[in-house]
Amino acid sequence: MGEMTSYRLSDFILFSQATYFRQFELYNQAIWPLHLVAILFSCVIIFALWKKPAWAGRIIAGLLVVSWCWVAWAFLYERFYKIHLVANWYAMGFILQAGLLTWYGVIKNQLNTFVTSQSKTFIGSGLLFITFILYPLIPFMSGRSWLQFEMFSLAPDPTALATLAILFIYKSPKLLYVVPLIWVLISGVTLLSM
Amino acid sequence: MKNQYNQSRRRFMQFLALGMSGSVGGLFNPRFSQANSTLISKPIPSSNEPIPVIGLGSSRTFNVGDDPVALDNVAKVMQHFFNAGGRMIDSSPMYGSSQPAIGYGLNKIAKTKDVFAVDKVWTWDAEMGTEQMEQSRQYWNIDAFDLMQVHNLVEWEHHLETLYEMKQQGKIRYVGITTSHGRRHDELEDIMKTEPLDFVQFSYNIVDREAERRLLTLAKKRGIAVIINRPFQRGDLIDELEGKPLPKWAKDIDCKNWPQFLLKFVVSHPAVTCAIPATSQLEHVKENMAACYGALPDKAMRTRMIDYVEKII
Repeated sequence: MGEMTSYRLSDFILFSQATYFRQFELYNQAIWPLHLVAILFSCVIIFALWKKPAWAGRIIAGLLVVSWCWVAWAFLYERFYKIHLVANWYAMGFILQAGLLTWYGVIKNQLNTFVTSQSKTFIGSGLLFITFILYPLIPFMSGRSWLQFEMFSLAPDPTALATLAILFIYKSPKLLYVVPLIWVLISGVTLLSM
Repeated sequence: MKNQYNQSRRRFMQFLALGMSGSVGGLFNPRFSQANSTLISKPIPSSNEPIPVIGLGSSRTFNVGDDPVALDNVAKVMQHFFNAGGRMIDSSPMYGSSQPAIGYGLNKIAKTKDVFAVDKVWTWDAEMGTEQMEQSRQYWNIDAFDLMQVHNLVEWEHHLETLYEMKQQGKIRYVGITTSHGRRHDELEDIMKTEPLDFVQFSYNIVDREAERRLLTLAKKRGIAVIINRPFQRGDLIDELEGKPLPKWAKDIDCKNWPQFLLKFVVSHPAVTCAIPATSQLEHVKENMAACYGALPDKAMRTRMIDYVEKII
């Protein structure tokens, strides 16, 4: 495996930017009308964070678990893996995050206390707004086909960003930050390397 | 008068290029015509089989997944490539869905028998090599590969043994080994000195000429055909030169644009057999294949090309 050290991450980005974004277009066409379910997920999360019912943390964690699992299977493994040889590893990372959210969020109910820091709440809420509302508009704003939009619960980047936003708003176990942060790093490097 | 001068000069350049090729121990045999209509080929040293100096790479450009629109575009690019006289297409299991895309294209344009099929074995599990190569063959939808190479020197001792056996059994015709972007040249040099290779593949272009110092000289001396990958530095060179003026004397070597200029520089090296630029653009494959025609630069012209590019970059 010594040869592996002679590779750089960009050596594994063996697809063009056009091909990458086109995957989202094909994916969106293939999974319609699941977008309506994703919108429903977003609405439930916003409602739960706003009204703060007792069940909020568990429900939000449950929706995140479903989202991370869906993205791992439907996008990363079934679609992205066809053009990206390490996307199956990414899928495993997403499944791991789903497992962690199940354990800490659903089973142990550790997403049950909101942070007291106003700045953290502000950052978390802002990031959530950007992810839910602005992120799907990026293709339209950047002159690409609007069909290439990426939505929370369906695409990896907005799912990771929304998760980070929610972790910011709650007093969350630090371990839950690891996979989303690694994904943001990987995705950023991928976008820069294409 | 000017046209006459240009024609004479062009013929002189062709004569020089022919002379230069002849002086390299029979490595060169470009088939020039008096005009631009004859495809330039060079012989593979181990067999003397001629191969056009421009091939087609598939890294990044053909990795399009199952996108039906992009797959049809791949077929169109390949069609233009073959129409312009191209033969060699190169791929690797590392290039995602490029192999199935090539298979789709070859089948669609009915060129499975005409292609000079080049692929690679790329696995750290020595036992998996044969299985991987068979999978690649099925993706390509061809009877057999012409050239099989060990990709980026991965497990090269084991894979080369397998490839020699396959060559003896008539399952492949040529054996090679590859590296890219200037990695591990020392190790590649050692392998070239000791192994009976037909082909070697590495990166070389007008601004990255490290390979000239040892690898190209050694290949010439050992009678190994050389395939050059990344002649445009993955497109970075084209981006840097975009908008900058092509020198007026580029027409003396029949270059109308930068891709042709850069490709002619690469394939005019006496030890280089062919270059394999990758593209998914129809216009680009036409531009690239035009470098297969007309005059090639001689040694003096190559120096002039380097000087010019280094001044404007």
